[in-house]
Amino acid sequence: MTSTIRNTDVKQKDAEHAVVVAVTTRAVFESGADDGDGLHGMGVAFPLLQALQRVNKRLLEENPAESLLFDVVLITTDSQQQQQSSSITSSTRHYGLEVGRFCFSSQEDFIESLLKNDVQLFLSTDRNEALQASQKGVLSAVLDQQVAPSEQLRVMLCGDAVVRPDTGPVPESQQAAQSFSARLGSMRRRFGMLDSPLSIVLVTSSGGRESCSVALRTLRSRGLSVDEAYSLAGAPRSPILSVLRPHFLLSDGVID
Amino acid sequence: MVTMSLDPVQVMSGQVKELKVSPSSNGDSRGSWEEKEEFAQDHLGLSTMTKPVTGRRTRKVEGGVFFPKPENAVTIAVSSRVLFRTEREQKVFEQKGVEEYLRYQIEHENEPFTPGPAFPFVKALETVNVRLRELYPQSEELFDIILVTYNHAHVGIRLINTINHHNLFIERFCMTGGSSPIGYLKAWQTNLYLSADADKVREALAEGIAAATMFMTENLTEVSESQLRVAFDGDAVLFSDESERIFKAHGLDKFFEHERDNEDTLLDHGPLKGFLEALGKLQKKFYAKGQRLDCPIRTYLVTARSAASSGIRALKTLRAWGLEIDEALFLAGAPKGPMLEKIRPHIYFDDQMFHVEGAAEMGTVAAHVPYGIAQKHNQTHNTGVRK
Repeated sequence: MTSTIRNTDVKQKDAEHAVVVAVTTRAVFESGADDGDGLHGMGVAFPLLQALQRVNKRLLEENPAESLLFDVVLITTDSQQQQQSSSITSSTRHYGLEVGRFCFSSQEDFIESLLKNDVQLFLSTDRNEALQASQKGVLSAVLDQQVAPSEQLRVMLCGDAVVRPDTGPVPESQQAAQSFSARLGSMRRRFGMLDSPLSIVLVTSSGGRESCSVALRTLRSRGLSVDEAYSLAGAPRSPILSVLRPHFLLSDGVID
Repeated sequence: MVTMSLDPVQVMSGQVKELKVSPSSNGDSRGSWEEKEEFAQDHLGLSTMTKPVTGRRTRKVEGGVFFPKPENAVTIAVSSRVLFRTEREQKVFEQKGVEEYLRYQIEHENEPFTPGPAFPFVKALETVNVRLRELYPQSEELFDIILVTYNHAHVGIRLINTINHHNLFIERFCMTGGSSPIGYLKAWQTNLYLSADADKVREALAEGIAAATMFMTENLTEVSESQLRVAFDGDAVLFSDESERIFKAHGLDKFFEHERDNEDTLLDHGPLKGFLEALGKLQKKFYAKGQRLDCPIRTYLVTARSAASSGIRALKTLRAWGLEIDEALFLAGAPKGPMLEKIRPHIYFDDQMFHVEGAAEMGTVAAHVPYGIAQKHNQTHNTGVRK
């Protein structure tokens, strides 16, 4: 049984235009670190949330009436977390996190929650959760420990999986990816080339320059202009990733 | 299962005979040339194998495309501004700012850039690769050329179009969108970095990566298309700047005295020693197959030292390092331009702008290594440009 609670501390976003990003509470807070004061420690997704907040702040600086903003939802995905609603909400308040809603769900119904809340991007530290959500058509990505995370929100797209526009009917998860790309592209265009709080990074791992070129063109046709592009052509990814430091990786709806 | 490697058909002078294309053959024997052609058409749908040179050169092993692992290859990172000519675009950037610059680039996306100062060098690297693949089809010990630019990916399509247009074998690149490429140079295990930006080159040198600044020169002399020629200055390039310090502080006599006294002491290594070493390793692969005389890599030392005296220490040092250099030219202070004009290297590395400029005047592509004591005296060029 899911309950969705609005965070009254935070101004609610315009549902029609906001980009809803759901992050699991396990990713945001250290679980069970209930230090007696009822507060959780900061989890892996903290830098990400702060980066999302910074983007919102800058968007509003450019245009105080901006409605294309990130709307962050914290979601529990198991009963244990589901029970911790008060410490989760109080921790959120304590850290001043710009979270619009809380969804207290369990394993069985968290996906339904995602769908009901019109979540456009679901982020979890648990690969299985991300896979399940993805299979139901929700764009998902797995979050990892960040080493020296950047202040700028860095979104990495895995170009090998970027699907060309002409290749037949598009499965749900890819539709979700395409619409997310388009909105991300619009958001990115609100800022100039330099000093953007958001950077879109394209990485193609296999294939050569042609696959990167195709990915660049395809993304552009969806309304997303990429800032950085790396063609690895078979070189190992991790040395490059540790310089790139993306907050998360998207692969056109396909979990890597 | 296909186990045969598909070597690119590179019809260049002196190599046609290796393909066994014999118009007078009676067609009975199936030479390797014919097998390759059939392979190309059945398995890859390529019909370019019968055309000289113009086909896209891909090497396929069992259906996959072959790219060397960075640690096995000799990785050369080249910036877009030295591989191609981008002066017009640079002007737009400097005069009108980055937004206008990117708009201009996108507008001209289908116009390939023309070759820049590093272009002949890169073409020569590819020639060596062709020869290496012929002799060692499974080896990853090749030159791997990576385009490293801090251009935004908006310029990416134009750069890729340009690479396609010039038929360059560059499949790897980093377009960093404004952030420093240095971290990526390390991640790619770069053996040599060529850029138009002296600051980035200095940063790379400080990180222990061989690097040099290149400049566009008009009226370049023609260079060989079948043999890669790389020339190096000695002090502060292959060797440390120790001796130059003495010379600058105490003059020529003291320099000679110091060199004489230290004749048997090895010089310390300079920033490009590693690159010479990498070239030597590849040369040995040709020697091992009996191709010493026909080796497509040739190295030169072009130094102001003199053969009779100060040169000895340089040679002893090279020998102790196990490095062979094909030709050592001791100029005893004579200008380097005329000698380089005779050698016609694809690239010449020197730590002094005076020599770099002198070489360029005579049509040689020279690259500046901003290392050592000479830099304090090197204010002839202000290379404070951004991309």
